[in-house]
Amino acid sequence: MHNKRPAQKQSSSYDLLPLFEFSNVVNSSLDLKFILDTVLLTVMGKMLVSKGMVLLTREKHGYEIVNAKGVDAGLVGQTITLTQVLRKATVTDRLSSANKPWVTFFKANGQKLIVPILAQGRVVGLLTLGERLGGKKYAEPDKQLIHSLVNLSGSAVEKALMIDQLKEVNRDLDRKLQELNTLFDLGKEFNVVLQPEKVIRLLTFSLLGQIGVNRYAICLGEGKNMQVVASRLEQELASCDVLLSLQELTRAESVEELARKKKFADVAALLRQSGIRVAVPMLVQREVKGMILLGDRMRGGSYERSDLEFLSSLANLAIISIENARLFRETLEKQRMEDELAIAREIQQGLLPRSLPSIPGFEVAAINVPSKQVGGDYYDVLAISPTEYVFAIGDVSGKGTGAALLMANVQASLRAFAPMGLSMSEATSRINNLTSQNTGQGKFITFFWGTLDLKSGMMRYVNAGHNPPYLFRADGTLEKLDVGGIILGLMATMTPYEETSVSMQKGDVLVMYTDGVSEAMNSKEEDFTEERLEEILRTSLSLPAGEIIANVRTALELYTRDTPQSDDITMLVVKAL
Amino acid sequence: MSEFKVHHRDGEGVSVIDLKGYLDAHTAPDLENAFQKLINEKKFNIVVNCRDLSYISSAGLGVFMAYIEDVRKNQGDIKLTNMSPKVYNVFDLLGFPILYEIYKDELEAVGKFGPRK
Repeated sequence: MHNKRPAQKQSSSYDLLPLFEFSNVVNSSLDLKFILDTVLLTVMGKMLVSKGMVLLTREKHGYEIVNAKGVDAGLVGQTITLTQVLRKATVTDRLSSANKPWVTFFKANGQKLIVPILAQGRVVGLLTLGERLGGKKYAEPDKQLIHSLVNLSGSAVEKALMIDQLKEVNRDLDRKLQELNTLFDLGKEFNVVLQPEKVIRLLTFSLLGQIGVNRYAICLGEGKNMQVVASRLEQELASCDVLLSLQELTRAESVEELARKKKFADVAALLRQSGIRVAVPMLVQREVKGMILLGDRMRGGSYERSDLEFLSSLANLAIISIENARLFRETLEKQRMEDELAIAREIQQGLLPRSLPSIPGFEVAAINVPSKQVGGDYYDVLAISPTEYVFAIGDVSGKGTGAALLMANVQASLRAFAPMGLSMSEATSRINNLTSQNTGQGKFITFFWGTLDLKSGMMRYVNAGHNPPYLFRADGTLEKLDVGGIILGLMATMTPYEETSVSMQKGDVLVMYTDGVSEAMNSKEEDFTEERLEEILRTSLSLPAGEIIANVRTALELYTRDTPQSDDITMLVVKAL
Repeated sequence: MSEFKVHHRDGEGVSVIDLKGYLDAHTAPDLENAFQKLINEKKFNIVVNCRDLSYISSAGLGVFMAYIEDVRKNQGDIKLTNMSPKVYNVFDLLGFPILYEIYKDELEAVGKFGPRK
């Protein structure tokens, strides 16, 4: 600036001391607002100007108005674009023609002079000034003084800007840390909370707290089975059907964003009606298992990408816990059922005879293979007098404890009535009456029993709806024992049970069985069938009773292979020697 | 981890809840119960004294959000007092000073509820 001597001479009329003080003041502060205020007011005071503004460089050619004195305060926050890079104080009229709109803008707001704020050669901002009082022009020395004043503060402005940026970065970090804390806090708690309801409650609290939202809905389930489990909306969602089209969502999206995509436009409109701003899918292995919907943030502001990312993490963390809680509950339930089955098995096994009585002139063998689910098969062999023996076989409908208890009922009444000397028909009626009083709806028992009289070699029997036992005669003929009446337990006896008697001669084989034998299934879900059973029995008749059963068992195993046994298998074989 | 405690006392038509220790996902239900109890008893003028609160998580803040609407709908308010800088920082980070009145001192907050009707 040495080329204009007169100006330099004139500048000496300004006091240098305040300039030094000014430099000290602005350069000892890191408060941007204070620095800019001081610069603007000092320049305005020196130049006797009543209007002025400070603009800061925000992006290339973009300047934000951050300070305005004597002009409309509403201008603060506006950004203007100036393509011309200014190096020195310039009168606004002289801006290049490309900046015409801004020339008009500056004129409208009475800004006459525009001064770049330079720090190490970079324009960090602009200072503009209005007309000087008394209409004095900005002479070259004035411009130079302003230029010097403004640039004395350049590095202070830059420093303060950096501090502000650092503060902002720090705050962003704090916010991120808070988000991580929230995820950590929830992760920790979700691990020990095993009730889905409680997980949802905690999730809700965290959403409300972290996002600052008061309108929300949390939906759980897949596809059409999604249900609202927690919600607070101005207009509640009638159903989750609207969410069906969001099944393809892979991350949190704003409703605004959804509305722009054709396939989501309809659902976006519906969500907007309910005041929803964001939809966050809850994903387990990329499958939507739930949805979080959020309304406006109470403290204002929109959902930033980082908020959406946080929401996605939170949603996925929560759904895994909810899934785990559900699985845990299922496991508990399964465990409870298994415990119950173990009890049922214990009852059932306790009811079966531990050993079979030996009957002179006869061979008796039995087998009971309970299925995993424990059916209600039962067999018994009782000596009711030194020469009379009872054989019984039954199958209670249903499985588990209920079936086992009903079976206990049948066993108790059989053991009570059999030795009383009643006719078999009468005894069966009584057993039926007793059990039908004790059974629930739809429960019944198929039952066969026979009483063998050693003196006469005859067996009387009643068949109450059980698979007819086979009586293979020594001569090869087969009789099926099907005389009797209705199954037990359905209703009190109306029609008396029929009883009949058959002879048991040397070589005759009586085979009693339950449908677990004839209906044993192979991998194609085909029954073993009575025909197959008859066939295998026929080829085994010459064997001892125990081996006949063993043969049937082997045939069953070959047939079913690895197919799990679905029903109890029970057989009772009596062979006359 | 220090134990969390919610202590509640009544006076002058304003209910004061004293918080102590860590308010996080684990302890949030305790504060929830305290708010629920006051609302059930139709006590809507609530001051929460945070003097002994050493930490608050988002879940903790969420409890305030969950109840503020019910309370204000009934012409009441939840005002907060005596926050440590650390706790205030969390409130501030998440924009809560816009939503809640926060006072330095409990008496000041109680006074803001005006004379008892």
